[in-house]
Amino acid sequence: MNNLILHIPASIDLYQEGDLKGLNVEELGRYLTEKTHIPFHLYGDIYQGLPEERMEALAKEYARIKVKEPGKKFILGSPLQAEIDYEKRRIGDPNWRIFGILYEGVWYQRIVSESMAEGELDFDRCSILFTNQLFVTWDRDDRRYHARVSLYGFPNLISTTGLVEAPAKPKEFYLKKQMGMPTELLKEEYQGRFLDYGDSRMTEVLKGYAMQTLFFHLSGEPFCEDRDCRLFNSHWQEEVLHSQLNGQYEFCPRHEAVLKTLRDQTPLALPLDGGGWGWGCIHET
Amino acid sequence: MAEKKKIFTPVSEKEVTRAIVDGFARQFIEYVESDCLIIGGGPSGLMAGRDIALKGVKTLIVERNNYIGGGFWIGGYLMNKVTVREPGQKILEELGIPYEQAVKGLFVADGPHACSKLIAAACDAGVKFANMTIFDDVVLREGNRVCGAVVNWTPVQALPREITCVDPIALEAKFVVDATGHDACVVKKLEERGILKTLGFGAMWVEQSEDLVVEYTGEAHPGLIVTGMAVSTVYGLPRMGPTFGAMLLSGRKGAQVILEKMKKG
Repeated sequence: MNNLILHIPASIDLYQEGDLKGLNVEELGRYLTEKTHIPFHLYGDIYQGLPEERMEALAKEYARIKVKEPGKKFILGSPLQAEIDYEKRRIGDPNWRIFGILYEGVWYQRIVSESMAEGELDFDRCSILFTNQLFVTWDRDDRRYHARVSLYGFPNLISTTGLVEAPAKPKEFYLKKQMGMPTELLKEEYQGRFLDYGDSRMTEVLKGYAMQTLFFHLSGEPFCEDRDCRLFNSHWQEEVLHSQLNGQYEFCPRHEAVLKTLRDQTPLALPLDGGGWGWGCIHET
Repeated sequence: MAEKKKIFTPVSEKEVTRAIVDGFARQFIEYVESDCLIIGGGPSGLMAGRDIALKGVKTLIVERNNYIGGGFWIGGYLMNKVTVREPGQKILEELGIPYEQAVKGLFVADGPHACSKLIAAACDAGVKFANMTIFDDVVLREGNRVCGAVVNWTPVQALPREITCVDPIALEAKFVVDATGHDACVVKKLEERGILKTLGFGAMWVEQSEDLVVEYTGEAHPGLIVTGMAVSTVYGLPRMGPTFGAMLLSGRKGAQVILEKMKKG
């Protein structure tokens, strides 16, 4: 086995939360399977079929983990009833469009894991939740919270909103914004230099982020230092666009070799109608 | 030579004084008890008041300044253009406020025109105002339900200590609206009494926080509806830029919440 591969998950399980604005999760699953030969499953809305009392409990948990001051270490809150009601409405609607609350990412991950059925969360599965909600994690270096695109673990979280908000836009964008220029005008001026909500490139870009979660499961290391590799840990929108769309290759030679080893070792799955390998199945409730 | 006719009818000073006192007193006595008491005459308070009063509900807006309208007169950086995002322009249309599209989804209007039209719309709907009146405290009833506000003259705050012993007075209402902006003065009073805890407002900029303000608008405590930027303070929502669509829509939602509650009795 390639020395980067410590463990090969048996399946890639894809979950959704909220309106992902055109993100094609199935296409993403096909891509992952094509690259790894590990089969994928589509589970749809992560909260579907949960009993009323479970939803109520989850809503209460979510309402407690809002980060109000990014410069201060978060403490669990005592939510107001209106906050719990908001969370109930949010998780009860698979097409929920509203976001902007900053959730503490590690706690969010923990609560999401509680909503998954027994057996779904397993060391042998690479579970990924695609969400339109925004989560932050504490940075020990500058002692403040930062919005994130992804969070690795069981399950992995990938945020479509995080992809727009977390990697920094061009510096001049923020300077002009501080001077009062409306965001809409700035978006026109800097069009194409960063990803926006509902961006048609979202699916393509998130393929790389999904691969990062997979590498986390394979090796414990999701990132690559090569900015031309899709595993590059981008901090700027410009870097995201380069490494995910305009790099000189998809994966650097080292990671490409890992993927080849992986494909050679993983039993071939069934071919799909639309090309690629794997299978999709909608979770029965 | 014929004497030149005077333009105005001669009226003595005492008649002017009587007219002011009488007009004010009659309205004040009538509105010591109202159906809806809105604290704060900014865009969300005005919008809420206008929509509620249109349904024939007795509504009083308390405003600490002499002028009504809050920050709706000007946009960012003291520039007197106000912006709203779609669908906020539908309210501009409804109120007859001229606007133009800046870019797709963003509309701009003259602050003075927009604000004066909104004030006029509230007045036309039947809203009454107590301006130069500052909120001092809440009136609570059984189960700590908010049933009114204690108010005073705004200038009392600026008086020397020796003469600030001007006691406030109380106004009663079925519902009170906190439309006091970032200060969330009414909710803060409940917080001082340990009845409710606000979350302070989020320091991180998020573009979509306008949606959240509208979504969170509602009854924060029995009898107390929160609208506008006060919603951000109460629930710790992220900061917003100088667009007013959320203020108008939040005011509208606050009105809907009150009207529904009144219907249920």
